[in-house]
Amino acid sequence: MVRVESPPTNRDIPAVRAALLPVVLMAGATAAGAVPVTGATRAAVVWCGAIATVVVAALAVVLNRRRRAMRVQRAQYEQRIAVLEHRIAVYDQETERLSKELLPAAIRRLRASNSPQEVMRDIVDADESYRNLPKAQRALVLQVLDIIDNEEAMRDSAQRAFVSVARRVQAIVHRQASELREMEDHHGRNPDVFDDLLRIDHGTALIGRLADSIAVLGGARPSRQWPKAVPLFSVLRGAMSRILEYQRVDLHSIAKVAIVGTAVEPLIHACAELLDNATRYSPPQTRVHVTAVEVQTGIAIEIEDGGVSLSEEARARAENMLAQAQAGINMNDLGESPRLGMAVVGRLARMYQLQVSLRQSAYGGVRAVLIVPRDMITTGPAPGIAHGIGATSRPQSSLDMSQMQHVVPPRGKHKARPAATGPVPSLASPAPAPSPAPLASAARSAPAAAAMGDDEIVVTEWTEGGLPQRRSRGRAPLGSHNLPQQSASAAESVARNGHNGHGGGGTAPPGLWLEAFTQAVNGVPDEPRNDPDSDDAWDKGDQK
Amino acid sequence: MSDPERLYVITGAPDGERAELDLVTMVVAQAEPSPTVQPEQAAILRLCKAPLSVAEISAYLSLPFSVVTSLLTELLATELIESRAPIVRAALPDRSLLEAVMHGLQKL
Repeated sequence: MVRVESPPTNRDIPAVRAALLPVVLMAGATAAGAVPVTGATRAAVVWCGAIATVVVAALAVVLNRRRRAMRVQRAQYEQRIAVLEHRIAVYDQETERLSKELLPAAIRRLRASNSPQEVMRDIVDADESYRNLPKAQRALVLQVLDIIDNEEAMRDSAQRAFVSVARRVQAIVHRQASELREMEDHHGRNPDVFDDLLRIDHGTALIGRLADSIAVLGGARPSRQWPKAVPLFSVLRGAMSRILEYQRVDLHSIAKVAIVGTAVEPLIHACAELLDNATRYSPPQTRVHVTAVEVQTGIAIEIEDGGVSLSEEARARAENMLAQAQAGINMNDLGESPRLGMAVVGRLARMYQLQVSLRQSAYGGVRAVLIVPRDMITTGPAPGIAHGIGATSRPQSSLDMSQMQHVVPPRGKHKARPAATGPVPSLASPAPAPSPAPLASAARSAPAAAAMGDDEIVVTEWTEGGLPQRRSRGRAPLGSHNLPQQSASAAESVARNGHNGHGGGGTAPPGLWLEAFTQAVNGVPDEPRNDPDSDDAWDKGDQK
Repeated sequence: MSDPERLYVITGAPDGERAELDLVTMVVAQAEPSPTVQPEQAAILRLCKAPLSVAEISAYLSLPFSVVTSLLTELLATELIESRAPIVRAALPDRSLLEAVMHGLQKL
């Protein structure tokens, strides 16, 4: 602009000069024309020349002025163009800012459950630089926000519908599973029915996993809560029980830790999906190996199959799916025939900070590694060392084991009943007691595993052999009557036994006298083999 | 609260063969539980240091009878346990025993 402005002042003189030149030339030409001519002609020529000169001069001046005006105009024009270009650039910038900063910020805000109006107020009006946004752009932003808001609402409701349906299915499956468990307990004696029940149970578990998957994809957390920590072994078996080909899964060296209750269900589900993948994409005769080892960050669960090795491309696709899922997937991405597994695992991994990776296995198949963070792990009060079922009811103490030596389960009620019903005089007891007592005490005080072979059982059971074996349970207090002969520990255990079984020593004698009696009558206990039988017979009676 | 694992995972194949085991069959462990056996089987081996009936095992582990039998079948196959059928008592009770009872009653 400066460049355009400055020349006129400098060029004024050349311009005058440029105007002078034609004038001088014209004047010269006139003079030259006038010289050869004489008289009146000369005057005419001079006049003509003068007029021509004047005209030329005027033209030159006008021309010059025009040129100058044009130059000024051009300068103005250029200035204007520059201004306009600048404005366009500003607009571009603004649009860019709108699309790259304002809209994303607004959408983020919208996603944080604000209404479009609130977003306009908070993002656009609150910001200096956006406050005087052109009306059209404002409208545009608002409209975009409205559309997004609508879509989100629709998607949310669709997902909610999804999840609520899944939840209902889950509820039915859970109920059915617990009923099946009851039935399994009920029909435990009948292997045919039991096996059929197991098959139904398995099918139900598969349905349950599918429902869980839908719920997870719908953005919900797994519904099921486990109130207590569950051993990792049980968690993995829980995962196994939810896949079709659980028989092909081998668990090796599972770390003896427990998973905190809140993390149990997602972990079961994630493992189940990975196991399902592993069994599904490997030949049916191969096995899938699972190990769980402690690592720095927690527990690494490795699931290794002997399947076709994943091509680099397929691996990349799977990982991509995982990553996508971790970033929060769209239902649209699942496609026509959805391979839900990876999507579900990715989702769960994101929700619970699990790390999943797929690698080439040494066997040629795929090795999926799931890293469970340390805060999900507890070494604490998980029931049992490695399994949940039945662990709590197992006789845990040495006391129980010592009782076991008599092949008499430590059930107090059974002991108590015959004792109570037996009206047999208790006076009789002290006298005949001594004879069987040494036997019993010997049996108890020698708890070595080796020693408690058949003979011992024979001895302890012999007395009860003839008559109802329950009496033999009542015999425990007998030992307590003869404490002096026994070692302290045996005495203690027996005493406890007696205490557990029934209140006082008065109940013991009923068995005693008869025991002593039979022994005395029979003389030698030569039918030891019968005793287990009788015991069993009674147990049978109890059980049935 | 139920456990996460279903019974078929513990049992193995639902159509697996089962050994001829009765509720009253006595079972004795022949070896210490090795770390490779299933936890339930380890528990059975621990329990059966002294002879125990199948019914009792089932009760202690709170597992149905059929599950226990298939676990025991595997253990039998690997000879970790030994089972002993209960000796069937003669159809009639022992005569001497009856006499003993009779005498005893008379003495009362």
